[in-house]
Amino acid sequence: MTTSFDKLSTGDTIDGPSFAVSRESIRLFCDGSLDYNPLHLDDNYMKNSFGKTNFGGIIMHGMNNFGLITRMLTDWAYPAGAIHRRLETRWVKPVKPGDTIQPVGIIKAKQTTEKSRWVLIDVLVKNQNDEKVAVGEAMVEFPLTA
Amino acid sequence: MAQAEVFETDFWKDANLRKVWDEIVPGEPRKTLPYVLTREAIQLYCRSVGENHPLYFDEAYAKASPYGGLIAPPSIHILLMFSCTPADDWMRTPGTVNAGQSWSYNVPARPGDTITLQARALDKFIKRERLFVVHDNVFFNQRGDVICSGRGQTIRPM
Repeated sequence: MTTSFDKLSTGDTIDGPSFAVSRESIRLFCDGSLDYNPLHLDDNYMKNSFGKTNFGGIIMHGMNNFGLITRMLTDWAYPAGAIHRRLETRWVKPVKPGDTIQPVGIIKAKQTTEKSRWVLIDVLVKNQNDEKVAVGEAMVEFPLTA
Repeated sequence: MAQAEVFETDFWKDANLRKVWDEIVPGEPRKTLPYVLTREAIQLYCRSVGENHPLYFDEAYAKASPYGGLIAPPSIHILLMFSCTPADDWMRTPGTVNAGQSWSYNVPARPGDTITLQARALDKFIKRERLFVVHDNVFFNQRGDVICSGRGQTIRPM
């Protein structure tokens, strides 16, 4: 259902797309993003420890979460004539092949400014075990004409 | 135009040319390259995150929309970060771990745009024995419009 600034309430949720993570999806993200860091490609390299961290195998790009959250926000905003303006994220837990992740948005606040209207959204990405793998917040503009 | 013809996907190859944490000077501009964003590159990126909105794929739909033509999704800066920097850029150092990012969006990038980047390390610090670098970046189109601006933190390999 298409949303509007007036209809939105704090606590409303936005369900994002489910995304199955595989070695192939990670490889495709390498090709799509040109990020060929061996963290995402090289099993032998990933046997090493990184400072105090050992990932135990290749991991998904953190920015794959970012791209998936963006997809959720724009698919929600476009039909309403709204514009995705900001996204801030941090990664909580590594994502690995075999995981299924899904972003969700929760409306946190609405703000009217001198020339426009804004919706602040808490975002998070969960894996198949209901664990948070990424958290953040977003800002979507609802222009006065929308 | 100074643009790499073939993107080197082996990030080990120029690893010895890249600055380590000790050498990165906050405030010093990073070398960047102009990049012509193609429809094919946008659509390959879209497929990698499952983006299928017609604004990115369907020219007739996009033309009739308020955007007046095909656009790239806002998160296209994920690709632009690597396409607008040379092989010796420290963002490519194997083992660089992304610790989080924030981005603001102004106008969309479009197929055919010549994208330029202004980028630098803004800060560096040590926390819990980990070496952090804060980077800031602004992408522009060929008219000088800001496409997006963003800041991120990476943990440098030791």
